[in-house]
Amino acid sequence: MSSADSTTAAEQPTTSSSGSAPPALPARLRALGSTTALWIFVVDILLVLLFGALSENGSFLTASSFRVLGLDAAEALILAVGISLLLGAGEIDLSLGAGLLLSSVFGGKVIIALAGSGTAVAAIIGLFACLGTGAAIGLVNGLVVTKLRVTSLIATLATMGIATGIANIATSGTDLSDIPASLQDDFGIRNLIGIPLPAFIALALWLVTWILFRSTRFGLRLLALGSNRGAAERSGLKVDAHLIAAFMLVGAMAGLAGFIDLTRFATTNLAGHQNDGLAAITAAVIGGTSLYGGRVSLGGVLAGTLLAVILQDGLVVIGLSAFYQLIAVGVVLIAAVNLDQRRTPGGLRLRLRR
Amino acid sequence: MSQPSDDTPDGPPDEHVLVRSAPGEPVISAHGIGKSYGHVRALHDVSLELRRGEVVALFGDNGAGKSTLTKCMCGVVTPDEGHLETPAGPIELHSIRDAEALGITTVHQDLALAPDLSVLENMFLGREVLATDWRRLLGVVSRREMADRADAALSELRINLPSVRIPVSDLSGGQKQAVAVARAAMWSNAGILMDEPTAALGTTQSDIVCELIRSTADRGLAVMVISHDIPRILDVADQVVVLRHGTVAMARPSSEISRRDVVDAMVGYHEHVGGHR
Ligand SMILES: Nc1ncnc2c1ncn2[C@@H]1O[C@H](COP(=O)(O)OP(=O)(O)OP(=O)(O)O)[C@@H](O)[C@H]1O
Ligand SMILES: [Mg+2]
Repeated sequence: MSSADSTTAAEQPTTSSSGSAPPALPARLRALGSTTALWIFVVDILLVLLFGALSENGSFLTASSFRVLGLDAAEALILAVGISLLLGAGEIDLSLGAGLLLSSVFGGKVIIALAGSGTAVAAIIGLFACLGTGAAIGLVNGLVVTKLRVTSLIATLATMGIATGIANIATSGTDLSDIPASLQDDFGIRNLIGIPLPAFIALALWLVTWILFRSTRFGLRLLALGSNRGAAERSGLKVDAHLIAAFMLVGAMAGLAGFIDLTRFATTNLAGHQNDGLAAITAAVIGGTSLYGGRVSLGGVLAGTLLAVILQDGLVVIGLSAFYQLIAVGVVLIAAVNLDQRRTPGGLRLRLRR
Repeated sequence: MSQPSDDTPDGPPDEHVLVRSAPGEPVISAHGIGKSYGHVRALHDVSLELRRGEVVALFGDNGAGKSTLTKCMCGVVTPDEGHLETPAGPIELHSIRDAEALGITTVHQDLALAPDLSVLENMFLGREVLATDWRRLLGVVSRREMADRADAALSELRINLPSVRIPVSDLSGGQKQAVAVARAAMWSNAGILMDEPTAALGTTQSDIVCELIRSTADRGLAVMVISHDIPRILDVADQVVVLRHGTVAMARPSSEISRRDVVDAMVGYHEHVGGHR
């Protein structure tokens, strides 16, 4: 008995070492098939078809319905793309929704103040006000995290509250209503070849971020920070500078989403963005991005965002309460993360193998 | 950088020590190094020299000061007493970057690899090669260039990996260790300090790392290895230094000593002769 045991033990290293180098191609194919993003995309398509079948006269499958979908997805995608930068670096930002809100408030005030000097000028300066507000919140987040050594969960929880408070004080709790309506047609709900301009911008940002992670030094270093902070330090990376830059970028993206929100509705929405930040994190995580850093799936960010938006819009179209969306997204979140954890470790890293 | 004058063309392992007794050019030396942490005297009056082509094995019990000495020599810790010298004269190291500027790299005990990044990304982390065209301005990296150079560095040390593009988390413990050693070797043109490179490795994998240590020295680098695996490291070492309570208890060529001598020096056997044996 004991001799049999020792034989097994002695043989194990040989067996495992010969089995540890599987041929590269099948491994990649397996990884492809088990990528969360792909599964979520499949679910997305099935949901669109399902809502199309359930909606009256297939109204969910019309161009105008898709335009609404695109508009709804634009803001959500920008936030989700942004949070993927930070999640990749092993940090988190809960303040994105509040950043969006405060940006739209400041940007809105700037636009109203400048409305006399022409809509275009007002819009452009308003855009920079939004981006600047968002980046400033990001800068505060970054400084608190790196210099005051407060974890990003706490730091951004604090700035979320602070930004929300400032937004409400600055507006005395009343949404801005004097935004020139022409901004809506010129930007917020403008169509380019039948597709809403904000959706174009969001997709472009998604693509740029995908390239950033896949091909640039900055993206690689962010992932290194999230994967093993100590190793990144000892490789001579300027950890604080990278983190501050990432927080500011993400903040600016929230600012962009704020500008889109402002120009789409020609008003602010003080009560409406509490959950945006968490929804962005949810979308990214559903798509296979790790909360613990080092692993980002941009395909999953897109698929996860679409899932949430399709559910939200589809349920309304078929006459159900939009609150069912919250339930459905919650269930999918648990299912997706569970799927993730049961999979082989290589599955999510397809993007990194280039 | 010239290769070592190949004095041992494929000699059997046992002959290493005998043939390689002619020392190479010194890379860095420690002179009377002392370091205290509060009341704990981690190092006192420690001197040693690392030379090209030579493996120095650093043995000692837990807490003997091995890691502290390594940290002093790679710029992580500044010694309280004594100084470091290179052939160009005395030098002060204030960070790991200072040591790397001298061509001295370190294999950390925890390997310091990012598991989610690929082998090549890890080997070039902090020193990424950018594309040569306009994309350089956007900070786009050239993976092909890095892969070629990583492949070359790995094969020079006879390390076999399925690909340099797979994530480090997919590697076995020995392969990870090999990657960490290869990375240190790639960016070193003078010396490598290794803190327990065979810790937590199986027999086969330890042998592979020991081979790596030897072939790294044979490329003309100075190597310092910390280990608790005395017999195995003794096999590949040229010089042996034993630390005990922060001081040098023994410093001799490995050809002149046995495993027993090392253990005796580690535990201070000569202080209570007649104990065991
Ligand atoms: N940062 C530190 N702060 C306080 N004391 C320290 C510190 N680093 C090391 N020491 C002390 O210095 C002494 C030498 O430690 P060192 O890590 O160099 O030992 P070592 O020989 O590497 O041991 P091991 O084999 O366990 O790794 C120990 O007594 C240790 O407690
Ligand atoms: Mg140690």
